[in-house]
Amino acid sequence: MAAHFFTLSIITLSLFVVASSGELESELVADLLTLQSESKSGVIHLDDRTVSKFLTYPRIPRPYSFLIFFDAANFHDKPELRLRELRREFEIVASSFITNHNSSNTKLFFGDIEFRESQSSFQLFGVNSLPHVRLVGPTAKSLKDDSDVMDQGDFSRLAESMAEFVESRTKLTVGPIHRPPVLSKMQLGLITALLLLCLPLVAKRIFAGETLIHDPKIWLSGAVFVYFFSVSGAMHNIIRKMPMFLVDRNDPNKLVFFYQGSGMQLGAEGFAVGFLYTVVGLLLAVVTHVLVYVKDATAKRLAMLFTLLVSFWAVKKVILLDNWKTGYGIHGFWPSSWN
Amino acid sequence: MATMPASASDLLKSFKLKTKQQELLIRVSILCLVYILAFITRLFSVLRYESMIHEFDPYFNYRTTLYLTENGFYDFWNWFDYESWYPLGRIVGGTLYPGLMVTAVLIYRILRFLRFAVHIREVCVLTAPFFASNTTLVAYFFGKEIWDSGAGLVAAILIAICPGYISRSVAGSYDNEGVAIFALLFTFYVFVKAVNTGSLAWSLASAFGYFYMVSAWGGYVFIINLIPLYVLVLLITGRYSMRLYVAYNCMYILGMLLAMQIRFVGFQHVQSGEHMAVMGVFFLMQVFYFLDWVKHMLSDTKLFQAFLRITVTCAVAVGGIALGLGMVSGYISPWTGRFYSLLDPTYAKDHIPIIASVSEHQPTAWSSFMFDFHILLFLFPAGLYFCFKRLSDATIFIVMYGLTSMYFAGVMVRLILVATPAVCLISAIAVSATVKNLTVLLRSKNKVVQTGSTKGSGGSKSSSKALLDQSQPFQKNGAIALLFGAFYLLSRYATHCTWVTSEAYSSPSIVLAARGAHGNRVIFDDYREAYFWLRQNTPQDAKVMSWWDYGYQITAMGNRTVIVDNNTWNNTHIATVGRAMSSYEDEAIEIIRSLDVDYVLVVFGGVTGYSSDDINKFLWMVRIGGGVFPVIKEPDYLVNGEYRVDKGAAPKMLNCLMYKLCYYRFGEMLTEYGKPPGYDRARGVEIGNKDVKLEHLEEAFTTSNWIVRIYRVKPPNNRCPHNVETPVVTHLGDVFPNGSNIHGQSGTCNPQNLGVCLDLLGLVDVNLGNAPTKPCCSLIEGLVDLEGAVCLCTAVRANVLGIHINLSISLSLLLRNCERKVATEYICGP
Repeated sequence: MAAHFFTLSIITLSLFVVASSGELESELVADLLTLQSESKSGVIHLDDRTVSKFLTYPRIPRPYSFLIFFDAANFHDKPELRLRELRREFEIVASSFITNHNSSNTKLFFGDIEFRESQSSFQLFGVNSLPHVRLVGPTAKSLKDDSDVMDQGDFSRLAESMAEFVESRTKLTVGPIHRPPVLSKMQLGLITALLLLCLPLVAKRIFAGETLIHDPKIWLSGAVFVYFFSVSGAMHNIIRKMPMFLVDRNDPNKLVFFYQGSGMQLGAEGFAVGFLYTVVGLLLAVVTHVLVYVKDATAKRLAMLFTLLVSFWAVKKVILLDNWKTGYGIHGFWPSSWN
Repeated sequence: MATMPASASDLLKSFKLKTKQQELLIRVSILCLVYILAFITRLFSVLRYESMIHEFDPYFNYRTTLYLTENGFYDFWNWFDYESWYPLGRIVGGTLYPGLMVTAVLIYRILRFLRFAVHIREVCVLTAPFFASNTTLVAYFFGKEIWDSGAGLVAAILIAICPGYISRSVAGSYDNEGVAIFALLFTFYVFVKAVNTGSLAWSLASAFGYFYMVSAWGGYVFIINLIPLYVLVLLITGRYSMRLYVAYNCMYILGMLLAMQIRFVGFQHVQSGEHMAVMGVFFLMQVFYFLDWVKHMLSDTKLFQAFLRITVTCAVAVGGIALGLGMVSGYISPWTGRFYSLLDPTYAKDHIPIIASVSEHQPTAWSSFMFDFHILLFLFPAGLYFCFKRLSDATIFIVMYGLTSMYFAGVMVRLILVATPAVCLISAIAVSATVKNLTVLLRSKNKVVQTGSTKGSGGSKSSSKALLDQSQPFQKNGAIALLFGAFYLLSRYATHCTWVTSEAYSSPSIVLAARGAHGNRVIFDDYREAYFWLRQNTPQDAKVMSWWDYGYQITAMGNRTVIVDNNTWNNTHIATVGRAMSSYEDEAIEIIRSLDVDYVLVVFGGVTGYSSDDINKFLWMVRIGGGVFPVIKEPDYLVNGEYRVDKGAAPKMLNCLMYKLCYYRFGEMLTEYGKPPGYDRARGVEIGNKDVKLEHLEEAFTTSNWIVRIYRVKPPNNRCPHNVETPVVTHLGDVFPNGSNIHGQSGTCNPQNLGVCLDLLGLVDVNLGNAPTKPCCSLIEGLVDLEGAVCLCTAVRANVLGIHINLSISLSLLLRNCERKVATEYICGP
């Protein structure tokens, strides 16, 4: 009898445990779904507490996989890491996944962890480099060793390759990626309509010859701008995404504006030199075309002197900088006795 | 030349005949001197080395020219070249711009006819300098057309020695650009002349100039887009005229018909998206003409306005619809990536890595502008201002040419070449106008208040200067000082140009020069030694396999068939070679036999320290091979993401064909004092596999400095069944946890691979030691220089998270130790 009771109680107890753990799991999933619906993109923001709640604590196998993006707000301004861009892509994957499954899929959740506020989670996962995306499968025991890390190659094609990564590891389908359009249809239609409306007006004014484009001053300033833009290497800065300046390695309080070595430049450096180029040229033009009309002789003399000094200084500066930067010692091929 | 005395008389109306003659004499002799100067300054390369063809592509041009001289034009036009891309071959006539070759042969024939016994090679070597001289003449006439003859002379002088142009036209650089810049400037000049005069003859000439340009260089696309842009600007600024109508229509129709005769261009003028602008403007022109006519017929302005509105809207709509239909139906091909990357410079970097990876296609930093233009950069804005002060159809053209080409030069380094003539012309205007003002000031007998001839700023300026003269007694001294300043600057320019030409732009790159321990010059002539060995010691029909860089040179100098060459049109074929080079010898021999290869040629710098050899290019072979044949996996050749050749190298690396061919017998060689035998000087390590044994290949020839090594493929053994399926070492693909995943893109940055470098950077002060950085070099070798640097930085940045947040590192030293060019320097941010 006692044995019967004992068996029975064990069965009930174990049943109760199973039921309660099932209940717990469904509770967790419900929690996650609420969190997910609260977030705009469907990415759940995790911190040390929620990581332990959803990932460390639940019994294995967990009823869901977790794809986690490791973020660091203080590294957002580093263009090489592409954190912002990757995070945006990550959000696109998340929202696409959720819309494709009508918010009813409980097998996969998307989350992000911020470095500053959840340092211990970073340690838990053993993350020491960014960008870092990790997939924690349902059976992963140790968060550090059993989870899948997304390769650099999986970032390469942004949201699409991230989705492929997810599909290959979880056997879930992400479905088509929904990117927000650059311009909404409404805007597009409005712009087209406006353009069409303006067209005859513009044409009429062009024929009448009374627009801004008939003013040489506009063209001139445009031309000088294009010149400045080109010679300052702005294109180089855009393509290479160069920073404006750097912090000196030996002395963090000092900034480095000029960078030694040709074929490479910093942003501010290019603009400074481009400015010097432009100033000398424009001063020459002003002296020959504007200054001569000034009536006052002293003013004229002062302006002239100023121009001469500035031009001299600018040319000298640029040539010195160039020699310093490229390391070339340019010299004439004079007879050696002359030197 | 007939126009010269006429306009000279315009200019110097007030002078006596005798002075005019003097002026003419001076001008002609200056031009002659400039002509000669432009030629001889480009002979530095001949003086420093010898009369030879430079670089890689010119060797192909030279070979085709040789063929043209020997077999005549029709054979050349229909030439199917069996010697390259074996076994595919190449239809040469339909895949090249024949202008350069035909020009060289024409010069050669003329010299022959005049009984000068020259060799075609000398003609080829000197073609570029000769055309540079001609360009100075065109620059003179162009300058005269847009400003005055003084500006023309200055332009001729500036362009004669401008480094931006010299870089592509030294003696021996027998490349399309050499003649194309002449053709470009000539076309522009004649077109501007046609617009100024409205004469059919000039527009006909511009059509032929355009034809020559099309036949010579792919850069003709610039002309065919700049001219319609220019016409469009004239139209919207209300400068439409009958002259413009005649010039443009004649040039476009004839130029297009003529250009279609070039097989390589074919029907692109009516089919490709890049040529649509010119056609659109052509139709717009007709609409304008039609409107003009209607306006003439209709007296009622209100009616005309209504008509105008309807016509313009209809015309634009029809044009848009036609373009859309053409695009959708595929009749009009979309823009090519190269063209697109010019308009949106960031496009190439994201979408076409193969374009972005070429070193000539890097964006330009300010120091490159300074290097190639020097003081012209300061004068350019002044020249722009002068042009705007005296707006005419011609100055508008030069301003537009200058600005567009300047913009493109900012996008790609090599396009500085296209910008050079415009920069020279605009700067020449600034120099000439300023100097002229100053000298007028000096020469003016005082107190002549001129009544200000309103035409031309020259006149108004001199009048204002004369006014100035009255008020300022020190005016003359000031002018003298300014003149001296100007001439000092110009002399600095001359010095700079000469130095740059002699030191930077005259190296032929097929003969290597280095400084010895005592400052003496050491010449490595191994390439030619090897190619001549091939020519004299191998059977006529032997096939040589090498990496594609050397294809043109082997066919041109060695006269042997190659598998792949620099005209990289067939990626699969290149990948096959890459696969062979990166397989084990047993597997490679199958590929080699299937390609009928008799000799394998590798370039090796371990003895001399020559860093751009095949071992350093090897990762590219692996990537390109792996891109087509997934059997080849890049991680197999790396150890923890690091590329190394010493004892710690990956087993697959140590036993692949390329490694074996490069390091065969190298293990017993002593290269540097105090180092063990088998010390690789290019990579600074002792090699890992000193006991290289070859089974199916045997060493045939190694040049005196070991730079080129040639191996013979042994014939198959008689009736001996090969056991081909036993690779020596098992694959280790799965061992590497951070396997780099390249996704078909060669040169993807994988910061995780660079982990080892980071340890070095963290521990070793890069300022002091260079030896430990060497292993990192190989990792960034495959990447474009800059991407390599950025990649390293990313890795640094990523790994220090939480440890040293404010670490910033100068990678320039690291990169310099990797013997990258100066262009590869970079500092990581914090």
